[in-house]
Amino acid sequence: MIVLGLDTATPATVVGLLRADGVAFEGRHDPAAGERPGHATRLLGLVDEVLASAGVRLDEVTRIAAGVGPGSFTGLRIGIATARGLAQATGAELVGVSTLRALAVGAAGQDRPVAAILDARRGEVFAAAWIGDTEVMSPAAVAPETLAEALDALARPAPRSGGASAPPPLAIGDGALRFRDELEPAGADIPPDDDPLHRVAGRHVCHLGARAEPAGTDAVVPDYLRLPDAEARKP
Amino acid sequence: MIVALETSCDDTCAAVVERDGTIRSNVISSQGVHDRYGGVVPEVASRHHLELVNDVVDDALRQAGATLDDADTIAVTRGPGLVGALLVGLQTAKALAAARRLPLAPVDHLLGHVAATELRPQAFAPPFLCLVASGGHTFLADVRDPGRFEVLGSTLDDAAGEAFDKGARMLGLGYPGGPALQRLAQSGDERAFDFPTAKGVAGLDFSFAGLKTALLYAIRDLGEDEAAARRADLAASYQRAIVEALAHRVERGLEATGHTRLALGGGVAANGPLRERMSQLPVELAIPPIELCTDNAAMIAAAARHVAPLPYPEYFGLDAYATGEGGL
Ligand SMILES: [Zn+2]
Repeated sequence: MIVLGLDTATPATVVGLLRADGVAFEGRHDPAAGERPGHATRLLGLVDEVLASAGVRLDEVTRIAAGVGPGSFTGLRIGIATARGLAQATGAELVGVSTLRALAVGAAGQDRPVAAILDARRGEVFAAAWIGDTEVMSPAAVAPETLAEALDALARPAPRSGGASAPPPLAIGDGALRFRDELEPAGADIPPDDDPLHRVAGRHVCHLGARAEPAGTDAVVPDYLRLPDAEARKP
Repeated sequence: MIVALETSCDDTCAAVVERDGTIRSNVISSQGVHDRYGGVVPEVASRHHLELVNDVVDDALRQAGATLDDADTIAVTRGPGLVGALLVGLQTAKALAAARRLPLAPVDHLLGHVAATELRPQAFAPPFLCLVASGGHTFLADVRDPGRFEVLGSTLDDAAGEAFDKGARMLGLGYPGGPALQRLAQSGDERAFDFPTAKGVAGLDFSFAGLKTALLYAIRDLGEDEAAARRADLAASYQRAIVEALAHRVERGLEATGHTRLALGGGVAANGPLRERMSQLPVELAIPPIELCTDNAAMIAAAARHVAPLPYPEYFGLDAYATGEGGL
């Protein structure tokens, strides 16, 4: 299986390619401070670059994995429309991958809760947490204070553990950085700002995509986690 | 063979058109979900475009009895329109083109409306004056050569279709208001109220703000019961004012340019009294079938024939635009 992975849920434009021999290739664009995301203008160029560096042609790709968020609505649509269009034209299988899960997988192997947290704007975060492969907090758009309470609960030692304190939950993602001051007092362990754990990586999108069950094109849609404003405002 | 996509507003559209302007398929998926909001909600439109776009392209190919292998160009609306909605079509088109290493023709939506006149079998070639009036745009174009036009005037406030919708809302009719208002107007007296037609606005620009205000005051002055009793008269008079406002500018435009041929475009071209009024002008008149007047992808394919297509991979960096640009 050769998997092409795309993710545009965060300001970054992320591409990965997992070759049949298991070697992964990556391309990405992270906008500088104050720069707008380059999803629409950079995504296909990055796909070409990554394919070239892997020595793979697009028509050899057997599966396309698209990050379905949650994240920026417009960003998600750019990545998913591109993935759907590529799959439609090449006949490759299409799968959707949770962006939060892809972020959390970057910290796999940690024997403690891993919370993936993305900046959701409007003072909120998109967050979910896992211990290993077990989801312990399902994806939701929440206020940082609410997330802090949830992380605090995850940080508490289990009653039967004889008082030995459990390792603090690891909190990663641009939302963890944005709300570091709210989340650290709740016991979250947040790596330094420049740690790559905070960024969605293409190879993780590919690895999750390789394991996912292929769906019809129609089934791969953004996981918005929020209604359009007009819908939310309706009585 | 051109495969075209159009997602600038709330219709998800794809078409297959031959180089000579023969339409092989023209699929329009109207979302129909915006009625309950009383207008198009951009985020809702964008969400639906993404859900529909691949199926709409599939349908267009199937109806044409073609596959992507038969395409020599992918065409797509780049703007103006709702950027989030445009991006769904643009990225889909870029991806389809990239996967097949096809060239991509980025098309201006307004040129699409003008080029709709060139589609077979009723192909109407320049030179002509073109009035495009819809819910999103209202402008008068001087079309001398295929694929090129000069805007002589455009609306300073609402589009004509918007004026219909807002009037309809004031009269308690649903959205979209154009057809409902026209139906109600049939039983009314169009001379009952003397609504302004912006005759005093010099030049070839349009304005419907004064008319809207006049209807609002007329309803208020009549009082609730009387206004309800005279809804048909109000609708007929209001409609007549919109038609006359459009007709005045067309007459001025014909005079200014010397054109003896006129084409209509945009959804308002479906309006009966407007068609009637235009048919009385001493010109050769072309009104494309209504499905080519409202937003559609066949018109984008028609316009694409006049656009230099970008070869693979030069279109990877294309972005959508909300207003302006596109050679206007
Ligand atoms: Zn239009």
